[in-house]
Order: sequence, then C-alpha cells, then structure tokens
Amino acid sequence: MLNYAVQRLIQAIVAIFGVLTIVFVVMHLSGDPTLLLVPQDASAEMIAQLRHQLGFDRPIHIQYLDYLYGLTRLDFGISVVQRVPALDIVASRLPYTIQLAAGALLVAIGIGIPAGIIMATLRDTAIARILAAIVVTGQSVPTFLSAILLIFIFGVTLRWLPTSGAGELSAMIMPSIALGALSMSTFARMTRIAIIDELGKDYVRAGRARGLSLREIVFRHVLRNASIPVITIAALEIGNLLAGAVIIETVFAWPGIGQLAIQSIQSRDFLVVQVIVLLISFVYVLTSVAADLVYVVVDPRIRLVR
Amino acid sequence: METHPRPLLSVDDLTIEIGGANVVDGISFTVAPGKVMALVGESGCGKSLTSYAMLGLLPPAARRSGGTIHLGDQELTALSERAFRKARGKDISIIFQEPSASLDPLTTVGAQIAAAYRTHHKVSRAEAYAKARQMLEDVGIPDPDRRLHQYPFELSGGMCQRIMISIALICSPRVLVADEPTTALDVTIQAQILDLMKKLVTERDTAIVIITHDMGVVADIADDVAVMYAGRIAEIAPVHALFEKPRHPYTALLLASVPKLSDAPKADLATIEGRVPTPNEFNAGCRFADRCPLATERCRAEQPPLFDCGGGHRSACWHIDRMAEIHGRAA
Repeated sequence: MLNYAVQRLIQAIVAIFGVLTIVFVVMHLSGDPTLLLVPQDASAEMIAQLRHQLGFDRPIHIQYLDYLYGLTRLDFGISVVQRVPALDIVASRLPYTIQLAAGALLVAIGIGIPAGIIMATLRDTAIARILAAIVVTGQSVPTFLSAILLIFIFGVTLRWLPTSGAGELSAMIMPSIALGALSMSTFARMTRIAIIDELGKDYVRAGRARGLSLREIVFRHVLRNASIPVITIAALEIGNLLAGAVIIETVFAWPGIGQLAIQSIQSRDFLVVQVIVLLISFVYVLTSVAADLVYVVVDPRIRLVR
Repeated sequence: METHPRPLLSVDDLTIEIGGANVVDGISFTVAPGKVMALVGESGCGKSLTSYAMLGLLPPAARRSGGTIHLGDQELTALSERAFRKARGKDISIIFQEPSASLDPLTTVGAQIAAAYRTHHKVSRAEAYAKARQMLEDVGIPDPDRRLHQYPFELSGGMCQRIMISIALICSPRVLVADEPTTALDVTIQAQILDLMKKLVTERDTAIVIITHDMGVVADIADDVAVMYAGRIAEIAPVHALFEKPRHPYTALLLASVPKLSDAPKADLATIEGRVPTPNEFNAGCRFADRCPLATERCRAEQPPLFDCGGGHRSACWHIDRMAEIHGRAA
C-alpha cells in the first residue's frame, strides 16, 4: 500500500513537471513574448530594451532554468501591467473562486448523487423520469446560456436574486447553480450507471437470498461499491469546475480567477495567465492524487495488495 | 420415494412462464429431511429457474403461472415479498455457482457471515461474530480467527464457497438449494465441497436440492434424481435405480455421454444428436421426441405422463416397457 501511495506521488510530481514545461514552451512558442507586451506603435529600440529588461534575449534553456528556479522560490514574476507579483494578484482573487467552486460542487454532489441513486433504484417511476429530464437539461444546455437564463428569470424578471457581484451569500446561488449544473448531470449519470452495474452483480442476488431487502442491500453494499467510479469522476469534476469558472465568473461579474484570466488575457498580462494555468493544472493533479488515496480507504483490494 | 419419511419440501405442478411460453412446465418433486435431491439437465432446461422459484427470486421477466411450493406446512408460493424475506436465509437458503462474485468485495467475510445471522436474529455484533467463527470451523476453514477479518479477494474459490455455505447455513435453514455449487471450482476442491455438504445434511437433517449438469456430482451426493428436459421432468428416481436402469431414453443417452475411464484414449465423445428445442419450437407431445431414437407418431402427438415404474421410479416416456426390455437384454 505504501508502494502504491509512493507510486502515485511520483506520478503526480512527473505530471506537474510536465505541466510546468508545457506552459513554458507554449508561452515561448507563440513567438517573442515581448511583442505581446508592447503597444503596436512601439519602436524597435523600445522593444529591444524591454526584451533585455525581461531577460527574453537570453538563450531559451537559460530562460527555462531561470523559470524553474523562480518557481522553487514561488517567484512567478511581476505582472507587467500592475507591477506587483503575479502570484499576489491571483492569490487575492482565489478565495472567491474557491467559494464559488465549493457552492457549485455542493450543487453538483448534493443533487447529482441522490438523483443518480433514485434514478438507479426507482427505475420506471415518475420521480426517476422527472430527474432524468432535469439531468438531460443540465447536461445539454450550455453554461453561458443557462447563466443568462437564470439572470433573466430570477434576477431581472422576478428580482429574487442579485444578478452580479460577490456581496451577500444570496449572490452565490445563481453562479453556483449555473456552474454546477453540468457537473451535477455528470454525477447523476455516473452514479446511476455505477449503481445499475452493481445491482446486476451476484452479491446483490446473494444478499436477497439471505433475506435482505433491496433497500438494505443498496445502503449496506451497493453504494460503497458504486462509489469507486464516482470518486474518479469527482476528482476530474473539481478541475472542470475551475475551468468552467472562467465563463461563469465573467457572466456574473464574480471577482475570482476566472474573471481575472479573461482580464489578464485582454491586457496581455501573460505572467498572471501563466499562474492561473499552472494553478488549474495543479488542482487537476492534486485532486487525482487525492482520489487515488481515497480508493485506499474505500477498497481493500488496493489497500492490501499493492 | 415412498420409503422416505414425510417430505419437507414439496414442489407441486410448478409452472413458470417467460413471455407466454412455459419454460418450466408442471414439475413436481419432494425432498425429505436429510436427503439430497438433484435436478439434472442441460443448460436452459429450467432447473435454475425452478431453484429461484423456491426462494421467490425469479428474475423480473419470469412469472410463476401455476403450481405450489410447500416447506413443511408453509406454502412458500403464497407468501408476500415481505413474508418471504423472513423465510429466505432462515428456512430456506441458496448457494450459487460463482462463490467469489456472491460476496461483497469491500466487506470482510466475517462481517458478511455475521450480518447474515443478524438479519434473522436480534443479537449483538460480538455474538454474531462468535457464531460466524463457529460456522467457519464447521465448514472446515483453518485458522478461522484470521479468516474472519479477510476480504473475499484474499480467499480461493473453494474457500469462498465454504464461506457461502457458512452464510447459507448459519441460521440453520431446513432446506438448502445449491445451484451448480461446484461448477466454478476445480475437481479436487469440488469433491471437498460435496463431502462437506453431505456431512452437513447428515448432521443437521437439512434437505438439499442440488442443481447440476454433472452426472459425477449426482452420483457423488444425491439420494434422488430428477432429470429435466425442456422444462419438464423426464425421469425421476432414486439415484441407483436411475444410473442402473434409466427408463427414459434421454437419461440413457445422457448417461452414455459421460466419458468413462475404459473408453479408448482419444475416442470421440458420445453426444446426443440435435439440440434442445426453444420454447416456440415445443410440440404437443414429448419434447424430446425429435432427438429420440425410440420416437413414434404418438410421441410427437401426445404428451406422456410420468409413468410409475415401481420403487419410486417414474418416467415420462411412452416406451418405458421397451426401455425395460433393453435393460433385460443387456443383463
């Protein structure tokens, strides 16, 4: 089991290293980064000066090592627009995104998993059909459209909820629903499939043969077994939520890193963009490591064998 | 069978239909306490459906359209689902073909055996575990204290089947149904499991209904045999009578197809020509007629009843007398 954990951690480190390298290469593949930073009418002299100032005139491998060295000291460079460390800018916005992602995850898991359980165990009932309709809607309506629809209905027409900003708690409701809807559908579908798959297994029939009701079998045995694929999905969905936040935060004027990403791209503040891209990638890697460690708790076959 | 004590389990004229076709068609048999009845037949003859019906666990597509099943004085087929649940595992238990798959992979075997006991008895967890430990000893699992805390994947197939037997017997049911209990196991383990089952029936006076397609298993464990063909009983008899003087051509051919040590090496395996008819190919008469070397016009037109051949031996064949002649000539 220790082997397994160590293996997963090594894989994670390799993955993070890969991400760092890819981000670096992409940033430099797109041409001379200096050109991104200067105004269109800048003179060649100004460009050369800025290039030297930012160190872009050095050989690429030196820049790469310098970049990695900087990262070890959590130095992600200074924002060329705001003249403060890029990391500080992202850090100041991060709590908002965490708050929003938590809200969305609550919607996704809190509705998605029970919906999946009901759809799997109460097949062919009215409630299962209604849930299936909701799930298909959540899955097929694009996020930007559902966000605007929510604003139109609950913000503009009914005036129940604020349409933008991150002031009171009520402002979180619509963005959380809009951001969580797609994940909710994914959780519902995966939970449903996992449970139906488990219900067909021999141990369910064996459980009934010893006098358990289907409900007892579901709660004692099936849910735990079905949780394994759902944990995998949960890890991926947390990363997807952060990526989805880019759109939702823009629509709802939510001051998180998604909005910051759009603003930074527009103002060509590429060091800030770089921090955001790295952050989202780290979250992907870390959640999948976390999922691997949760398997250890849930599944004795992993705990005892590997 | 008249020589046996009062029957414990009686299946009477059981009919099960799937999509309008009677895939089990009016079968009847009884089992006395401490006796083993084997239901034998090819895949699809309805033997497994019969066993599921005994536990009220027919798959959703199948429906019992007639007949009754009694356990002692209790009519199982009249029970509601809720009442049946109280009987399952306590009065009548079943073990399945795939022992490893029949256990929850994420729960220790001790917890699963103890839970089976607590389903029907209000006792503390500790008491249930003590009972589970005792049960592991009874089914011959060495080092039970360690095994209790192991997971199914840590045990071999034979071990898992012993666990399943523990679960099935922990509430001391009066009837144990065993659906191909040794098919997934290798031959030496198979013999051990059959020995164990034999020991348990004698000790506890449990009645066993064993479902199998393996004549070797039948010879090893059964007291009585019901040979099923296409949803009907072809022949039912005490095991020795059936093996020595089968009175149904299907049984005779089935026995002839069992390879023997005296066969020439690499000799072709004996087979029965043709295949089992599907439910929509059933004719009005004997369902084996199309494959039967003795078949006549009457066989195809008229369904043979189960004729009494004496000594508890009954055969559903118009030609039981010719079968007797054949045995006479051979002797």
